[in-house]
Order: sequence, then structure tokens, then C-alpha cells
Amino acid sequence: MSLMLEVRGIDVFYGEFQALFDLSLEVRTGETVIVVGPNGAGKTTLLRCISGLQPASKGSITFLDQPIHRLPPHRIVELGLVHVPEGGRVFPNLSVMENLKIGSYVRGARKEFRKKLEEIYELFPRLAERRTQLADTLSGGERQMLAIARSLMSKPKLIMLDEPSSGLAPMIVTLLFEFVARIRSQGYSILMVEQNVRKALSLSDRAYLVESGRIALQGTREEFSRESYIRKAYLGL
Amino acid sequence: MEIVFLNALANGILLGGVLALLAFGLNLIFGVVKVIHMAYGQCVMLGMYVIYTLKVIYGVPLLVASAVSVVIMGVWGTLLHLLVIRPLLGAERLNQLLALAGLIVVFENLAHVIWGADLRGVRVDLPIVSLGNVFLKTSNLLAFGGALVVLGILYGVLHKTYVGLAIRAVAQDRECATLMGINPGRIYLLTLTIGGALTGLIAAFFSPIYSVHPHFGGSFTLMAFIIVVLGGMGNLAGGFIGAFIIGVVTSLAAVITSTEVAEIVALTIFILVVLVRPQGLLGARRAR
Repeated sequence: MSLMLEVRGIDVFYGEFQALFDLSLEVRTGETVIVVGPNGAGKTTLLRCISGLQPASKGSITFLDQPIHRLPPHRIVELGLVHVPEGGRVFPNLSVMENLKIGSYVRGARKEFRKKLEEIYELFPRLAERRTQLADTLSGGERQMLAIARSLMSKPKLIMLDEPSSGLAPMIVTLLFEFVARIRSQGYSILMVEQNVRKALSLSDRAYLVESGRIALQGTREEFSRESYIRKAYLGL
Repeated sequence: MEIVFLNALANGILLGGVLALLAFGLNLIFGVVKVIHMAYGQCVMLGMYVIYTLKVIYGVPLLVASAVSVVIMGVWGTLLHLLVIRPLLGAERLNQLLALAGLIVVFENLAHVIWGADLRGVRVDLPIVSLGNVFLKTSNLLAFGGALVVLGILYGVLHKTYVGLAIRAVAQDRECATLMGINPGRIYLLTLTIGGALTGLIAAFFSPIYSVHPHFGGSFTLMAFIIVVLGGMGNLAGGFIGAFIIGVVTSLAAVITSTEVAEIVALTIFILVVLVRPQGLLGARRAR
């Protein structure tokens, strides 16, 4: 499998505070990779750094053989790397349909907007029902689904999901992971940060554990679920 | 007496249309870029001088002069963004406000130096239209109709085009908009250009109605600001409604008492809104 995303030795600072230390990670084509770890470990910072929202002071990030760590976020999306931020950040005063339309803003995605929209409505019938409603009126789970659906509109190659299940009821979480699994089966590469380690691990190919801004552990799904530390601390076994 | 009221009401509504356009520009800039363009009315004043100069001094037809004013004021808005607003985007709010308020002095004195303090008017002879006992100036009707048409077009652009959606997305969540592939810097530039072109257009609507002088813009900046606060800052629909309220109220107050009292009434409304309902009639959600 060819390398899709390669993060090499990045340091990220917020002022004086260092959030990430010499962190490296990679995603190969077609893979679903998850990043787990406690709150404040730097998982969100990692995704923000990859999508260009937070600059790295050291190291490099390569996407499809192209260095992206000096590109602004809007250029990175155009390359096919899309970031779904935490909490399903949809545009509250745009309708569901308008949110999906703005998802296809990048060049190359606009022409297929209509076709994509039909696909999305088929995949998420709930969104089709609510197409004219303002995103503000959606429930937490619907917002998260809209945010994910919106990211698919840009014809991405790699989708980064930041804690898609956070703040959602258990039943909705199950539904949400079904959607992620469905997206995965369509051939998209996924890099997902998750708190729900058990569920996330079950649909991953490989996993990373981030603690205090460093990679503490990495491996395939099987290796990861066998690791006694993970079993005790994150899977409660 | 009834007829006087009716006339004041009709003229207030007509004024409201143009005020709505003025408030739209101010609101759009605030909603997207999050700065208050304190010298917005002054830009209208400069646009009116452009039209005056072209029409009266160079003999250019009014329509052509108006079109040129739209273009020049659009470029003026672009320059304003590049030279004043963009360098201050990361600065303290107070500094942004002071810089833009400083432009009032700059623009007014610029006009003073170039055109002097005298009233400059474009003479246009248009008939008066009468509907029963209500008499309306054709120039006011044209301004009203024109403003509504332009507002309709702007509404369509904001709701139906990618650029319009991008403008609204940046206004709602700038960071998330960049994750959609939108370059916010370009949207800011575009917003100030549109806002500038609108001042040129409003100048075209005002020129047949009012004579211009260097301090002409002040009362309109104030009026636009009151409307925007009344409607809810950044809320375009609220601004639209607010414009008609202020237009009618000041027009009626002017008939009952005097023009000076009308301004007092407008400012009183402003103070009441700030005290009682600071989020405005259709309170916009707080910007992130």
C-alpha cells in the first residue's frame, strides 16, 4: 500500500506551551487509522496541525508526495485532505442543503455537486428529510452526520474525524460508527481521533496511542488490542 | 393634517429603502470582517462628489457618472481593505475602531481640500408623481425602487451562489470555512469591494435628491449604525426591517416637529435598544 499521509517529527507550540513533541505518524492508501489517548494529550492539535490550522515549528507533513506543512488550510482541502472538526461544526445559519453545498466549494467538486448530493441523501436519509432546515435546529447526532456528509462533498481522499462520537447518546454513537464503517467500505482513507477506543478500534486497521504530546504506542488493530496496557487503561478488560 | 402624515409616511418608506441598502453594506462588512466601518457614510459622500465632478465639471451623462462612481468606490473599498483594515485584522478592537473613525476626519478633509465647503448639487429635473393626495418625487421613487432591486440581487447572490455561500460561511465560522477550502482573505477583500461599490451606488441614488458637502456623510453613518444596532448587528434581515422603522419614524418626527428633533428621536431609539434589547430586534447569535 502506498503512503498517503506522512507526518515526520513535528513539534507544535501554543505560545510557551509545547503540545506535540517530535511526533510522527502515517496513513496508507485505503487505511483507517485511529488515534487514541487521554484528554489534553494533543490529539486535536495533531489534526489541526495536519489541516494547516496550527503551524508546526519543526518537522514535515507530506500528503500524496507533496509537502503541505506550509500551505494554508484552504489549499490543503483542495488536495483532497478534509478535516471534520470536533463537535460537528456545521454552519448554524445555513440550511442542511447549503451546508452540503459549501462542502463542495473546492474546485473539482462543484461540477458533481448534484450527483454527490443525491448520494449523500441516499446514505443519510435523515439529512434529506431536513434539507431545508437550518443546521442550528438539528440534534447533536444529526449535526455530526451533516459535518461528515459535508466533508464527503469535497471529494476527499483522506478524511480526518475529530472525536465524532463526543457528546452523543450511546444509541446515536452506534449509528454514527455504522456510518463511519460504511464510508470506510467505500474506499476512503480515514484518520480518526476517538475517545471510544473499543468501537473505534473495531473498525481500524492500525492505531496510535498519544500521551502528553508523544506517540506512546503504535501497531495494528490486533497488536493494539492484545497490548495489556491498552486493555487495562482504555478497554477496561 | 392627515395628508401631511400620509406624505411623511410615504417618504419615510422611500427613504427606508435607501437606508436599507446603506445598512446592508455596513452590516455585511461587520458580519464578515467583524469591523465597524465608521466612515461608511463618508464613502457615500465621496461617491457623490465623484458624480458631481463628472456630471457638472466634465459634462458626463448622469447614468455614466453613476456607473463610474460605483466602480471607483468599489476600488476605494478594496484599497481601504488593503491599506487600513487588513493590517489591523489582528489588532485590538479599539485600535480598529479608532483607525476607521480616523478615516472620517481624513475623508471629510480630503473632500474639503478638493471641492471646498460649498454645497454641490447635480441638477436633475424630474416630475413629481401624485397618488391621490400623496406627492412623491420621482428621484425618491427611483432610489427606492433601485435599492430594492439591488437588495434583491444581493440576497440572491448570498443564497444561490458559491461566492455568496462562502461569504455567509465565513461570517458564521471563519475557521471552519477555511476547512471547506474557502480563502477568508479573499472573502474579506471581496466584502469590502462590494461594500465600497454599494456606497458608490447609494451616492448615485442620493445625487438627484441631495446636494453634497464635506460633512454630508456623518448623519448617514450614524443612521446606518443605528439601523444596524436596531436590527441586530450582523443580521441582514433585521437591518432591512430596522431601515424602514428608522426611515418612517424620522420622517414622521420631522413633519411633526423639526429635522433636529427627528435626529433626537432616532438617537433615543438607539439608546433604548442598547438598554433594553442590546442584541437588536432579530438578535444575531454571538460571533465565535
